[in-house]
Amino acid sequence: MRVNPNMAPDVVAAVWRTQSQEETALQELSTGKRVNVPSDDPLAAAQMVANQDQANRADQYLQNIDTLNNQMQTAGTALGSVVQALTQAVSLGVQGSTGTVSAANRQEIVQNLQGIQAQLVQLANTAVSGGYLFGGTATTAAPYTLDSASPSGVTYNGNSGTNTVQIAEGLSVQTNLPGNQIFQNSGGDAFGALQQLITALQSGTASAAQTATNQVRDALASVSGQQIFYSNAVNQFNSTQTFLNQEQVNLTAQANNLVGADITKVATDLTQAQTAYSATLAAAAKILPTSLLDYLK
Amino acid sequence: MPGLNTSLSIAVQALQAEQGALNVTTTNIANVNTPGYSREVVNFTEAPVSQQGNVAYGTGVTLEGFQSVRDQLLQLRIYEETQQQSNSQTQLNSLNQIQSMFSDPTQGVGGALSTFFNSLSQLSTDPTNTSSRQQVLSAANSLADSFQQAASNLGTIQSGADQAIPQTVTQINQLTQQIATLNVQVAQLQGQGQDPGTVQDQRDQLISQLSGLVDVSVTQTEHGLTLTTANGVPLVVAGQSFALQSGTGANALQEVFSAQGQDITSQIQGGQLAGDLQIRDQVIPQLLSQLNTLASQFATSFNTTQKAGFDLSGKAGQNFFTPPSSVTGAAANFSVAIPDPSLIAASSDGSAGSNGNLTQLIAIGNQQLPSGSTPMEMYSNLVQQVGNFGATATANVNASNLSLQQLTDQRSAVSGVSLDEETTNMIQYQRAYEAAARVVNTVDSMMQTLMTMGTGG
Repeated sequence: MRVNPNMAPDVVAAVWRTQSQEETALQELSTGKRVNVPSDDPLAAAQMVANQDQANRADQYLQNIDTLNNQMQTAGTALGSVVQALTQAVSLGVQGSTGTVSAANRQEIVQNLQGIQAQLVQLANTAVSGGYLFGGTATTAAPYTLDSASPSGVTYNGNSGTNTVQIAEGLSVQTNLPGNQIFQNSGGDAFGALQQLITALQSGTASAAQTATNQVRDALASVSGQQIFYSNAVNQFNSTQTFLNQEQVNLTAQANNLVGADITKVATDLTQAQTAYSATLAAAAKILPTSLLDYLK
Repeated sequence: MPGLNTSLSIAVQALQAEQGALNVTTTNIANVNTPGYSREVVNFTEAPVSQQGNVAYGTGVTLEGFQSVRDQLLQLRIYEETQQQSNSQTQLNSLNQIQSMFSDPTQGVGGALSTFFNSLSQLSTDPTNTSSRQQVLSAANSLADSFQQAASNLGTIQSGADQAIPQTVTQINQLTQQIATLNVQVAQLQGQGQDPGTVQDQRDQLISQLSGLVDVSVTQTEHGLTLTTANGVPLVVAGQSFALQSGTGANALQEVFSAQGQDITSQIQGGQLAGDLQIRDQVIPQLLSQLNTLASQFATSFNTTQKAGFDLSGKAGQNFFTPPSSVTGAAANFSVAIPDPSLIAASSDGSAGSNGNLTQLIAIGNQQLPSGSTPMEMYSNLVQQVGNFGATATANVNASNLSLQQLTDQRSAVSGVSLDEETTNMIQYQRAYEAAARVVNTVDSMMQTLMTMGTGG
């Protein structure tokens, strides 16, 4: 049987093949990836799009949490100060409604209470980077202004709107409580009660002052109850952060499974390809020059 | 009774025959590296026997000529495989360019889409924040750039394939013309009873080249070879070649016409021409259509939701992206319609600080568009489609290359020149030549003996 006498093309093809195996192994080693173009594994490449998107989202959720944490901790701290101020107002009210207090002392208490009123307005107007925290969704104007014509002594410029922000897949949190819900709800009206207490101490009876003090106490309890909203949110942020960090680790692991190179296997492949390459060259060097002519004189 | 002169003439004939054989060997050795060369073998036959009385005497050797050794069936398989190999390779070359656009999931439309939705998410934490709004707008512009870039890159590759078509047609016509000329020469040589080996080798080479360009079907007729496309459009019939034509078709793309003016674009099945047509008419339109559908449905859906909300100044939202006039060209014309970040309709109640409509806008990322998939799913389907095209072409090229190599090896086993074989032949002919020369010498000395007898010395 006649065999192919011209082995040069086969030798060249074999050299190319082993070289291309080496190149593939080298590329996988240097990039650490098994899938470098979509055709290497179309399904994995498509899944990587989703994986990368989820990883980006997780990053963004963590950033959202950072921003919100700042806002809501500030809001919580402000409410803490409101509770302190109202507590002080209650003790001033108790002091002023005993009936034995002198007119001068009463005047002093009224002045203190007016100071507290101004402080409350200031706290209710707390803002983070230009946005007011207690105005509902009307965050660009100060929610409360002092208004002597109003029965509560203030005007609310905000609305009852709330915002929610997504902090994980399928998890959204409400990020604000409108001022009218915190300070002026059915459980107690902090501004109204304070104004009534001031009026009672200025011109009313001791029992009127007592009633007003009780109203301030109710408002205090109400505001104090609202603090839980913010502390709950901060707790939820902490647990979600832990979840998202774990999620990122999982996504990285998934990405590695999808497109990562098995370094041990690739290193072995590379060695094998190198061996095959040397063997091909050695064989070619032996075969190609040999001819009958070598043996003729 | 044969005389010395007869022996002498037989010996001389033998000398000539061996010389002729050596000539063939020399030609074979000389062409050992000529692509497509088929080795030739010498055709020695016994000269007719001379009958004298009861005794038949041999009258020596005749060199009938020489013949090239070829396997026509194998050659046809090589043509077929070349058509497929070249078709797949042409597609792969374009697909490799396309693939590089979709290789990095953090880049391109997918990455830009992800960044855009995340910028909206960031804005939702503080809807009045100017720099967050600015970021949304620049992310939207990057998204628009990505869509435009992807469409433009696909368009460039498509028009590259389109422009290759008239060039390929020109090459095809040059080849068919040369093949027709060679066809005539082959017929002439065969008519004269000669072996058309060399000319036939050249013609086979040209048909191989032609197979790299277009699908060729080869039929041997009594008048010579007939070449047609797989669908029977004539390319070469005996000594006549039929030039294909290319021209701009209805859709402003290059079309291929037969010599009779029939549009055969959709019938081309092999070679570079088929590969370019496949990329231009199937692969890229399909990818572009997926990209355009994504661009169009995403822009429309986003605009609808944006218009349901209110911008920073409390006015009803206006179109965020330029509304696509049609699905075709939606990616190429994708652009941001709002010039000012304050026009992002984040609010659902008209207050500046509301993020209610942003929540709706962000939700689009997880909602099914009319196509039945989310925007990101549509993009990942596109990536998978690109990968599938690439993987198929790569597999086809590898299979064809392997097959082609085996066929070439087989062809070479039949027709290739073996130096060892030729050297052996050379020694054989040399020995025979020496022997015949010795016969001449012997006859000469016998004749001298005769002469000496005559002089009686």
